[in-house]
Amino acid sequence: MRNRLEEIRKQKGLTQEELAEALGVSRQTINSLENGRYNPSIVLAFRIARFFGMSIEEIFVFEEE
Amino acid sequence: MKSEGTAKYVAFSVLGFLVMAAGFLLAIFLPGTDGFLRILPYICIGAGAGAFGGNFGNAVREHIIKKNPGIARKIEIETNDERNMAITGRAKAKAYEIMQVLLWVLTIVFALLQADLYVILSLVAVNLIVIFSMLYYIDKYNKEM
Repeated sequence: MRNRLEEIRKQKGLTQEELAEALGVSRQTINSLENGRYNPSIVLAFRIARFFGMSIEEIFVFEEE
Repeated sequence: MKSEGTAKYVAFSVLGFLVMAAGFLLAIFLPGTDGFLRILPYICIGAGAGAFGGNFGNAVREHIIKKNPGIARKIEIETNDERNMAITGRAKAKAYEIMQVLLWVLTIVFALLQADLYVILSLVAVNLIVIFSMLYYIDKYNKEM
């Protein structure tokens, strides 16, 4: 699953550390999400979407294999 | 609540230290005894050192957390982080697979070495308990999820 997390985070002028702190996850989790190495749980995806005031689909792009 | 936890860890670490010291004293002053008394000092040293080390470490950690709320928040995040939990779960699953193979290898090695039957049966029992525990939890989580 691709995502626009890094792009959106940078648009908002946040560091990985700040975003991690706001979401209550580790900085490594944000890094892994941005690199596409880790797919978030539905709960975390909702938390990220709510934090940025967007829908999940605007941040995470589901690609069928 | 936190100070109660620290007090509990301190009390158990002191108890562990006393048991360990008693073990050393028994080993020094009661040499050449037979039966259970022969192994008692070593049991005391082992159990005491384990209790002392574990509880002293926990007491120090609780003390540091109490003094630095920032660290407490960081530890809470690291502990509850879903990626960390997923990684820990996967690592435990892998370790379980390795442990299962090693337990059976150990059982076979003991059988080939013609070890006492109770040793081999104990290992087989441990293997079976581990396998049935897994089946129990698969069933439990199937019902819960």
